[in-house]
Amino acid sequence: MINTLKVLLIEDDTIEVMKLNRTISSLALKHEIIEANNGEDALKILEQKENLPHIILLDLNMPKINGIEFLSILKEDEILKHIPTIILTTSNNQKDLLECYKIGIAGYILKPLKYEAYVSKIEKLLAYWSINELIKI
Amino acid sequence: MSRNEIDILKRALQREKAARKAAERILEDKSRELYLTSEELKTTNLKLEELLDEKSTQLQGVFENIIDAYVVMDLKGNILKFNDPAIALFGYDIDKAPVNVLRLIYKKDYKYAMQSFKNLKKNGFFTNYSARIYTKSKAVKWVHINASLIFNKQKKPIAAQGIVRDITELKNLELQKELLLKKLEKSNDELQEYAHIVSHDLKSPLRSIDALVSWIKEDNKAHLNAASLQNFDLISNTLEKMEHLISGILNYSSIGFDSVKKEAVDLNTIVQNLNTILIVPEHITINLKTKLPIVKGFKTKLEQLFQNLIGNAIKFIDKEKGFIEIDVKETPSYYEFSIKDNGIGIDKKYHEKIFKIFNSLTKRKDSTGIGLSIVKKILDIHHGEIWLESVVGEFTTFYFTLKK
Repeated sequence: MINTLKVLLIEDDTIEVMKLNRTISSLALKHEIIEANNGEDALKILEQKENLPHIILLDLNMPKINGIEFLSILKEDEILKHIPTIILTTSNNQKDLLECYKIGIAGYILKPLKYEAYVSKIEKLLAYWSINELIKI
Repeated sequence: MSRNEIDILKRALQREKAARKAAERILEDKSRELYLTSEELKTTNLKLEELLDEKSTQLQGVFENIIDAYVVMDLKGNILKFNDPAIALFGYDIDKAPVNVLRLIYKKDYKYAMQSFKNLKKNGFFTNYSARIYTKSKAVKWVHINASLIFNKQKKPIAAQGIVRDITELKNLELQKELLLKKLEKSNDELQEYAHIVSHDLKSPLRSIDALVSWIKEDNKAHLNAASLQNFDLISNTLEKMEHLISGILNYSSIGFDSVKKEAVDLNTIVQNLNTILIVPEHITINLKTKLPIVKGFKTKLEQLFQNLIGNAIKFIDKEKGFIEIDVKETPSYYEFSIKDNGIGIDKKYHEKIFKIFNSLTKRKDSTGIGLSIVKKILDIHHGEIWLESVVGEFTTFYFTLKK
């Protein structure tokens, strides 16, 4: 069990980033959020192997490298492929869903319209991963 | 010579004479017969000749009048005969220079041609050979050939004949069709993709607005008066409505783009499963009057069809005790379903309009004016019809048909 998760949030929308941060602080959780605005930034962050995140929250629709491309790059890396990656997206496109599970994801969460609904989903997600045993890389 | 001897000789002579006479008579008879027979033979021959002439004229006629190209070649592939269409098709005049069939075969179809020729020699014929050929001017044409061997009196094959049809146009049309279909498929995919992206891009700002509004509300709770709080709720409702609208458009535009095939769908299961999707208030009872049939269709679409119609019924029931009745009647070629509710009813003048997209009759936040247009579109792809009967304030019955 890990009480303070290191969460890498890959998200290009500023308000979405604010939403996660506010959710964590309003729930008084101790998790550490590392922010990356796009896939390229995220890959740079993931180069520091001594400070890898416990889980990754990944948006699908992003400029440059999109979520699915990023996921594929991740899964081809011998070390990074072990980090549970949860998709956080608006797209309930069956094609995307299928493709993500095919490449390998640890979850697929739809961003709800309502902020309260979002808080509730994130709370459950973080609680779940907090009680999981994770590979120490 | 004694008298006796003379008598004997005379008798012998007489016998001989008689015998010769008899022989002469026989000879005469026979030659007459022979004459008659030969005469008969002559007429027969004449008749046969006429027949032969007739047959060859007929054949010549077929050879000349046939619209398709007709080709005769020896077993080494040397062309012996071209009719006019053949000359027109291949462009060669074999009277001027010999042509071998090998020169006509399109390179990539060579193997297929050789295999077909083998079959011809083995079986005596081949049918439905379809491949490309070169004309004299090196143009490529698609042809269809039926061919057979020609045998001599000793039943030995001596040549081959074939009817050659120019199917270039047909093949081109086929290719064009395939190309068009592929293009259509691609643009459908793109459109679908586009719909998803647009709906994503439209929904994202809504989520942001909702988050920002709830933060302002949260952070200023102590300072906001009742009117402001109510306005915040209105913003929230408006956002919800907007999101429903976007989801609805996405759903509407997605119908018919699925690559899934039709399957046998048990409508009983679908209606039973609706309880898990729809929230049925306690004062409303849904009554399935008879067992529903199994129909051939798109499962998720039929699910949506029932979900939208029953969902509507639930939404518009204003009575203390609500009821929804689902029934089905069978005709030889289709099923006629009915979904009846004791809700607010729909005025006759709207009975057509409600199926058009964005034609909601109410201003509820959960009414986008897309639900029934989706129902209509789903029935369209199932070749079904929909209509309704209603008395305002009393009931509405939606009828729809699904083919057996």
